[in-house]
Amino acid sequence: MNRMATIASDEWRYWRRSKLAVCVLALGLILAVGSALLTAGQMSDAAHERAHLQAEAEETFFNQPDRHPHRMVHYGHYAFRAPPPLSIVDPGVDAFTGTSIFLEGHRQNSAMFADRQASAGLAGFGALTPAFVLQTLAPLLLILMGYNTLTREREARTLDQLIAQGVGPSHILLGKGLALAGAAALMVSPLLMATVAAVFSGETVAAAALYVGGYLLYLLIWCAIILLVSTLMRARSASLGVLLAFWVVAALLLPPISSTTAVSIVAAPGKIETDFAAIEAKKEVGDGHNAADPAFASLKANLLQQYDVDRVEDLPMNFRGVVASTAEADLTDLLNRFAEHRMRVEADQARIARGFGWLSPVLGVREFSMTLAGVDLETHHRFLREAEQLRFDFVQSLNKVHTEKLAYIDDINRSRDPEAAKRTRVSAENWKVLEEFRFEPAPAGDRIEASLVPLAKMLLWFAVAFSACAVVGRRAL
Amino acid sequence: MSFARSISREFRFLLRQPVALGLIAVAAMLSAFAVWSGLAETAQQTATIERLLAADAEDRSAALATASDYGGAAYYSFHLTHNPPSDLAFAALGQRDVFPWKHRVRMLALEGQIYETDAANAELAQAGRFDFALVVGVLAPLFLIMLLHDQRASERAAGRHDLLVATAGGGGQPWRARAAVRVGLLGVALLAPLLIGAAIAGAGLWSTFLVCLIVLGLVLFWALVCLWASARPFTGPAIASGLLAFWMLTTFVTPAISDAAIESAIPAPAGGAIVLAQREAVNDAWDLPKEATMKPFLAEHPQWTDHAAIERPFEWKWYYAFQQVGDQTVAGLSSQRRDAIAARDRAAGWAALLSPSALTQRGLTRLAQTDVRAALAYQESVRDFHASLRAFYYPLLFKEAPYDHAMLANLPAYDPGMAKTFGDEKAE
Repeated sequence: MNRMATIASDEWRYWRRSKLAVCVLALGLILAVGSALLTAGQMSDAAHERAHLQAEAEETFFNQPDRHPHRMVHYGHYAFRAPPPLSIVDPGVDAFTGTSIFLEGHRQNSAMFADRQASAGLAGFGALTPAFVLQTLAPLLLILMGYNTLTREREARTLDQLIAQGVGPSHILLGKGLALAGAAALMVSPLLMATVAAVFSGETVAAAALYVGGYLLYLLIWCAIILLVSTLMRARSASLGVLLAFWVVAALLLPPISSTTAVSIVAAPGKIETDFAAIEAKKEVGDGHNAADPAFASLKANLLQQYDVDRVEDLPMNFRGVVASTAEADLTDLLNRFAEHRMRVEADQARIARGFGWLSPVLGVREFSMTLAGVDLETHHRFLREAEQLRFDFVQSLNKVHTEKLAYIDDINRSRDPEAAKRTRVSAENWKVLEEFRFEPAPAGDRIEASLVPLAKMLLWFAVAFSACAVVGRRAL
Repeated sequence: MSFARSISREFRFLLRQPVALGLIAVAAMLSAFAVWSGLAETAQQTATIERLLAADAEDRSAALATASDYGGAAYYSFHLTHNPPSDLAFAALGQRDVFPWKHRVRMLALEGQIYETDAANAELAQAGRFDFALVVGVLAPLFLIMLLHDQRASERAAGRHDLLVATAGGGGQPWRARAAVRVGLLGVALLAPLLIGAAIAGAGLWSTFLVCLIVLGLVLFWALVCLWASARPFTGPAIASGLLAFWMLTTFVTPAISDAAIESAIPAPAGGAIVLAQREAVNDAWDLPKEATMKPFLAEHPQWTDHAAIERPFEWKWYYAFQQVGDQTVAGLSSQRRDAIAARDRAAGWAALLSPSALTQRGLTRLAQTDVRAALAYQESVRDFHASLRAFYYPLLFKEAPYDHAMLANLPAYDPGMAKTFGDEKAE
């Protein structure tokens, strides 16, 4: 134990003396702290703005004057996707998806206003977020600090002296590893502060702790890889070259190659293309504005029979409202089928891309981070589903008002007869059917469970790198 | 000894260096893969547009066939607009994952429709796409660092440095020829796949030439940086580390900091605010007296003053007038947002001077018309097209022309060429 600590502190002394290592470590810390402050500011602004717009949208809906309920179906409503607490570390897909959806009757709109569209767009690899710094840049910085950790001693022949003095290879490796792990822990420390902030804004301690632990594990994988390569390579330049090549492949090449591969294996039809297919299928559902549409003939016959009357005027409810709500339900079923299919295809693409996480720890930690923070594709899909549920509920509640509180005879005469038009206006009290919507992160338990798969990828990487150090590396010393 | 002879000597020397040869081969492979996947992606986009155009025409003619008045025809018929990939788009896919390149609109208020985005898979867009611009802008410098940083330091470490300088003659610069051979071969490795791709895609000679120029510019810049650094009296790995740190700063850090600085310096109105305001304006009109709609409408379109009397509770011309007034209400906010996005893009152009990588990628996406400016030009062309729909329908609606199905054969058709002309005008 003592020997390990001595070796580790000796490595730190070497770093303090070498200008490059000090610069690299300082750069890593500045980037980690700076990105944490920057992203926290941006995401909490976004959270406030969206919460404000959501409340404003609800208030204007409630404050609408008395009018025909179907007008409110078309007046519509908005849903905004609030970012989760941990998005201050990893905003994930937030900037790449629309953050608001217009909800109205008879249509499922797409999400609008992806922040990325308004960005200056210079940073092709991603904004300066703690996630990007830790996932992509920190490993490179660790490589620059540690590529020579053992090759240096070997080249200077100090390694033989150490061994001659009776220091075991495991002690040397563990001591050097401890020094690197210290640098890694230092780079993770700003993340710790950011997650504490996330806990204060509602994240559970368990998820936050696992999150920090996951990043630490990720950087430990890199420490082990650096140690291994530095042990195996005879020359410093070879050690640097091999580590650099590994980093380029893992951090720069595999992420875009994973998405290019996913797209070429599974082609996802866009929204417009899906809409065309939906239009084709929709022809059978019938136009809910037109109670005379032949699609509603059997509905009409059934109702007339059920209430034992001859004319729709004699029904105890407004037939137009019944048609509107039946058509909405049928149409929603159909649109949901297409929407679910699209989301399934996207999830399939994501699964292929994530499979590359077994090949690159960078992709593993990316998936881990986005899943646990709740900023992945699945979260966006859940937002789309919840917004759709919100849409369907308020439209059908309004259709219920339309069915129960309006007389059919007034309803059909309202564009000719101003008195009838007046009678078809219902009180604004009815707008209260709209449920308040706050997009919440998935329960921490679910996110933790979902993050176990990417965590397994990282653990495998760690196990392989660590045991390679223990077996191959020790023998090579 | 002439320079040509030292080049051929260094070339033969290189053939015996597996690491350098391997690096150049890997660069060629990456470039080829990038070009191939870019060609596949653009071919897929072109095929999608063709399928959509066919489905769109069919859908529209079905909608128009059942129309019984012009107002209904305009309400039920959608029009596909599209921004086809340019013949250089394969080299730089740029913003096409982020901005829409296909859009269906109808004659309702445009501000309610234009922000709909038929976006690609967000998680894949976030990981970025592998394209030629990435190979050149991000990876090529790494290859140069690996090929060039160690030229002198390795000879020095091997104790041959002084001997080589003394015996080489010709100004004592054996490094120059060695570097020229390596840089030249790397350039060929990067550009050969691109030229094949450009030939397949039928890209213009001039723009292909400009792409090559940009690539060579970046390669030369980094070659000079590496040569300068390799002449410093440090060990090879120390020189490489310094170069890598510089590469990391200019490739990732300065662009990201510039983005953040530009975004906070140039505020853009929140998109949500635009659509909320637009919806209020459009929906309030139903409850307001007809005057309240027609007055602001006629203020902008005085030519319809004599045809603007609304007598029935519902008339199509009033309906489309309040759609237009809805657009007018948020025109200020909407153009502020577009101006802000354009201003951020222009500022990014200046900030790119701090990052050779960003500068290269901007140059390539400009030539490939896959940048923000091209996306804005496309959006502008959708606006122009929407305006032409209004120009087509308004005379029919306001003069209450009797419905004639044959008239609809003259409906304006979207021409993707509109986007390009607009972009070029803006550039001048």
